[in-house]
Amino acid sequence: MFHWLEKNPFLFSVGVFIVIAFAGLIEILPNFAEAARPVVGLKPYTVLELAGKEVYKKDNCIACHSQLIRPFKAETDRYGQYSLSGEYAYDRPFLWGSKRTGPDLHRVGNYRTTDWHENHMWDPTSVVPGSIMPAYKHMFTNKADIETAYAEAVTVKTVFNTPYGDDIKPGREAWEAYKPKVIEEAKKIAADMKNQDVKDAVNRGEVPEIVALIAYLNRLK
Amino acid sequence: MNSLIVKALGFAAILIIATIVVVKQMHIDLSDPINAITIIGAIAIAVLTAGVSAKYISQMKSDTASGELADENWDGIGEYKNELPSGWAYAFLGTIVWALWYWTIGYPVDAFSQIGQWNEEVKTYNKKFEEVHKNADQATLQQMGESIFLVQCAPCHGVTGDGLSGKAQDLTKRMSKEQVLYVIKNGQNQLGYPMGAMPPGMASGEAAEKIATWIANGSKGTPPAEFAVCASCHGADGKGNNGMSPNLTEYDQPLVEHVLKQGKKGMIGRMPAFHGRFTPVQVKALATYINTLKDN
Repeated sequence: MFHWLEKNPFLFSVGVFIVIAFAGLIEILPNFAEAARPVVGLKPYTVLELAGKEVYKKDNCIACHSQLIRPFKAETDRYGQYSLSGEYAYDRPFLWGSKRTGPDLHRVGNYRTTDWHENHMWDPTSVVPGSIMPAYKHMFTNKADIETAYAEAVTVKTVFNTPYGDDIKPGREAWEAYKPKVIEEAKKIAADMKNQDVKDAVNRGEVPEIVALIAYLNRLK
Repeated sequence: MNSLIVKALGFAAILIIATIVVVKQMHIDLSDPINAITIIGAIAIAVLTAGVSAKYISQMKSDTASGELADENWDGIGEYKNELPSGWAYAFLGTIVWALWYWTIGYPVDAFSQIGQWNEEVKTYNKKFEEVHKNADQATLQQMGESIFLVQCAPCHGVTGDGLSGKAQDLTKRMSKEQVLYVIKNGQNQLGYPMGAMPPGMASGEAAEKIATWIANGSKGTPPAEFAVCASCHGADGKGNNGMSPNLTEYDQPLVEHVLKQGKKGMIGRMPAFHGRFTPVQVKALATYINTLKDN
């Protein structure tokens, strides 16, 4: 019955490939599609948090810190609930990391606060004796690029349909109109901080990197 | 007796002798039944090998091809139309049955899951933990509390619990004078005690100063007369009326429980809530440990 197939080895190979590839597709793709959906209640990053995420990337926190808690008891005891893939739905790119010189940060917002981050970024050994993490004092003076962060929000909204509100739209006027919201959010973070220079900068309408980064870290829960 | 059978017997004999030689050289104890059975098995395999080889060699010598040829031939090499061996056919049908089972029951019901494994592990551990520490003595609680403290609390409160020079609450003392004054001025409604909110401005001026000084000095001796306004909720001795309101003299278990559950924002800054991260036994252990810090 299938002698014609045996006579066409190339066609036969293609047929075999299609059958196996199909089996792979129906087993793998539905899982991917389901896991990639945002978990219930997940909100996209605010513009300030996005700016903090850029600081995180720029200063290469990912080199020493992971953001993925594996489902092992030892890890969930220390860092909290294991990570779900749907929690990274708005991470572009995700910052899982593959090296833990320092601890995992995926739920750091659950057990560290603005005060702690401020002390820790200024001088890590003041709160964690023996820490080998360098100080990041430049974050207290460098300004976060909230404008680019806004552009990123606009981009992911346009390209990936990330559910931002209608007030995030392209154009300089839209950004000028949106900027006060970012500053407002920064002020809330700065209110819990002690560094006077940072507070002054925020009151002037600037956002030091530390404020954006803390907003991002507090968001990680 | 034809020569093929002689050769086969000879082959079997060589295999058996080789086996026995190896066994002797390895000084294997044949009185052990397992070893004896293994030797018998080895001999049986040698005989079967020789017999099966002899059968097929003889078949190769005497058999002639027969049957109906398939239509195609490849460069003159043809193929007989043979029935599929029944073993293969049944195995093929068997895989179909297995596939139906796997599709409907095997995979959906019994699939391995990493999360499932985690659930089992945690459940087993927690059950064991609760059993072992159901009636933990003070020394165990103290030790457990210390190790939890070092992992979860020390990053802010410091390894000695001193609050890292004002970066967090100093757990070696109950409250500083400034903290008491701050609470009296601003009130307090975060901890979820049965007594509820403490309104701001319960005392002021010199009265507040006196109360604060007494508490900051470790609540020793009789409280000042001004403390009467506090006593209605916190108890005449400031110990919080058996968990109805915060204990002002020490970190007792209700206080530790409430702070861990609700978190707290005070004069120093905000402490996050640790709700659900500790079992009741662990909270008790933490309270035990924190209560001993003041003695050091």
